[in-house]
Amino acid sequence: MSTLTKYSAVPYTGPAPTNREPYVPTDAAAIDARGAELAAALSVEQETGQDLPTLLVPRENIVAVLTALKSAGYTMPLDLFAVDYPRREQRFDVVYQLYSLAKNERVRLKVRVGEDEPLPTGTGVFKGLNWYEREIFDMFGIVVDGHPNLRRILCHEAFQGHALRKDYDPAQRWLLTEKDVAKIIPKIDPRFENVDTDFERVTLNLGPSHPATHGTLRIVVTLDGETIIGCDQEIGYLHRCFEKSCETHTYQQAIPFTDRLNYCSAFINNVGYCMAVEKLLGIEVPKRAQHIRLILSEFMRIADHLVCIGTNLVDMGALTNFWYLFQPREEIYGLIEACCGARLLPSYCRIGGLAVDAPPDFLEKSQRLVDWLPKFINDVEKLVDKNQIFLDRVVGIAPITPELAIEYGFTGPCLRACGVPYDVRKASPYLGYETYDFDVPIADGGDTFARYLVRMEEMRQSLKILQQAIDRGMPEGAVIVDNPYVALPPKSKVYNEMESLIYHFKLIMHGIQPPVGEAYFQVEGGNGELGFYVVSDGTKNPYRVRCRPPCFQIYSAFPDMIIGQTIPDAIAALGSLNIIAGELDH
Amino acid sequence: MDVTRVSPGVVKVTGARMSVLDRLIIPQVVAGMLVTIRHLVKNLFNLEKLPTISYPEVKRVYSERFRGRHILTAREDGTTRCVACYMCSTACPAECITIEAGEDERTREKFPVRYDIDLLRCVFCGYCVDACPEDAIYMTRDYEMAIDTRARSVVGLRDLVVPPNFPVAPMGWRPYYGAMEKKGTAGGTGLGQPLRSAPFEDDAPPNPDLFRGNE
Repeated sequence: MSTLTKYSAVPYTGPAPTNREPYVPTDAAAIDARGAELAAALSVEQETGQDLPTLLVPRENIVAVLTALKSAGYTMPLDLFAVDYPRREQRFDVVYQLYSLAKNERVRLKVRVGEDEPLPTGTGVFKGLNWYEREIFDMFGIVVDGHPNLRRILCHEAFQGHALRKDYDPAQRWLLTEKDVAKIIPKIDPRFENVDTDFERVTLNLGPSHPATHGTLRIVVTLDGETIIGCDQEIGYLHRCFEKSCETHTYQQAIPFTDRLNYCSAFINNVGYCMAVEKLLGIEVPKRAQHIRLILSEFMRIADHLVCIGTNLVDMGALTNFWYLFQPREEIYGLIEACCGARLLPSYCRIGGLAVDAPPDFLEKSQRLVDWLPKFINDVEKLVDKNQIFLDRVVGIAPITPELAIEYGFTGPCLRACGVPYDVRKASPYLGYETYDFDVPIADGGDTFARYLVRMEEMRQSLKILQQAIDRGMPEGAVIVDNPYVALPPKSKVYNEMESLIYHFKLIMHGIQPPVGEAYFQVEGGNGELGFYVVSDGTKNPYRVRCRPPCFQIYSAFPDMIIGQTIPDAIAALGSLNIIAGELDH
Repeated sequence: MDVTRVSPGVVKVTGARMSVLDRLIIPQVVAGMLVTIRHLVKNLFNLEKLPTISYPEVKRVYSERFRGRHILTAREDGTTRCVACYMCSTACPAECITIEAGEDERTREKFPVRYDIDLLRCVFCGYCVDACPEDAIYMTRDYEMAIDTRARSVVGLRDLVVPPNFPVAPMGWRPYYGAMEKKGTAGGTGLGQPLRSAPFEDDAPPNPDLFRGNE
């Protein structure tokens, strides 16, 4: 914005807002052709004009279609959510998003469901759909037929109504107490049902406020001696209605809410959300803004991994590492604060770019930090890498096979620890990641140790990306698009030009009004694929914002990982999964 | 840990190879202790450069962009710049600003009769500052907002309005004009030695760029 300090009377001549016109994705023809191919193969209808190949599946056929797609290579269930259109006869759109690792391709399935029509469960095909089906039951009241454990997941058991329905009044207040909840008694794993040991079976409650859970999570385990033979989780203690809040606020106002999803790497959430809306608007962010977004995202990823490894080692009694890792994290937050104005929750992205330019000494500070960081990572490596006490605690603990991890929809470091090299930055690059030279680290075993190794190497790879980004220097130009229908005009113009003042008022009063349609955009968050699905009806408020939080599915697999292990192993495993309650409870 | 390349763009990380000596635990524990002792000795002879801050005696200095407690700026004659246009309360995602407008009978100008910010609701995103068309609301670097009752979290005109020529030193997030960019922002990263200083200089001269009335 510094280039615009002088008075200029040139009125804006760019494209006018595309309000209430349908959204057209960039390569619509190719997507529709692929969709038609799939639709013909599965003999279902196709919905055209979407940003992904989209199939319209009748409710009765969904399990058959899911099975067919799974055998065709779409092995990863990325997301399942619903959108409510109350004026329609069948008011809900249930949306599945599947991903094929082999073809690097996504497909979207839409099922129309009426208010009293049960949806057949897909848990028999994909285990990862379990919690998502509970979520649509909780939020929309869609009954899922045949689901093994259909109860509310994010809201309290005694909650009345379904919060994400359009006719739910968000101003209602509920007083819900513990008395209204049925006691959770975990089901005993069939492998241990008839095993007779000398020990008494005990049910133990961990959390929600417990130092080992790193957030408000509740785990109920049944123990046979020291062995965990049954486990059930309860989440939703940090539920703050992100998706509903977005519906009652403008597109721009939702950015501070995204900060609070994964608060360890808040800036990546900002980027993901803004890029989803930018995709819907069809605008490209200036190069300079992309460069700053990339640098800050990588710093945030390092900070996220530092927190994860540091706290995970504390769980195992290694407090020294925590201090060595939190010192560089503190400095990363210092850089973030000098650039964004806040340490933890930057709210620095804007739709169309960034709030202000980075400070002039930004690259210099980044370079100093990149040179300074590795010694702390190396120190921790020296402390724990060959330490037999540490290795005994992590090697072979809470393993998950690659097949099961994919079926659960794992992404990010936890999936890569199983040996699957899937990284959104490589698979569908954004912000120019394709031009950077970096490697995707994988490890074998999928255990706590593998997750630690992958995170350590990922920090080094992030440093490699950062070094390249700093060497390239900062591209010249503005940090936000010059389009007054999207971005606020610079203050110097607002005070000097009538048009800019009107644009300024109009944008704040009426907000950004993207074209009618829906778009999904995914970025690589600290924990894995972080996706935002934005549905616009052409007004200033999003019709629906869906956040795909990576640790939701990772945490849903937790019982499968810890059955047969002991409590201390479960705690070590929980730390290595990096469950962030803010993101989990979106 | 060992890193081997398996295919272009993918590397495999495996645990470090353990020698017989490493398996005996003690040598590796000693090696780890050496790292810890190195840190200890380094810190012991460099006490004034420890990464920790003795808050509240010593305070951390944040950058010129820090989003702390708000202030309402004033014109030369001492009246508040705010014209009660409701832009900040419209832009606020937390709905924490309540404004009641009045009209000056002499000048026929609007001004706020009531301007309340609920600091417990505020998310410190800085949208109010970006939205203000009058440079009336700024954020400071003041982050000490502890209160003992909920009622005290609501700050009104009496707490927010500052006198004209309010010093620039404690200012945080405010509209950017380029003049400040030349200096660079403070705060940020002294690499393990956070900027801790020195209370804000209360008698610093006001920055003329901040007040349009001075142009």
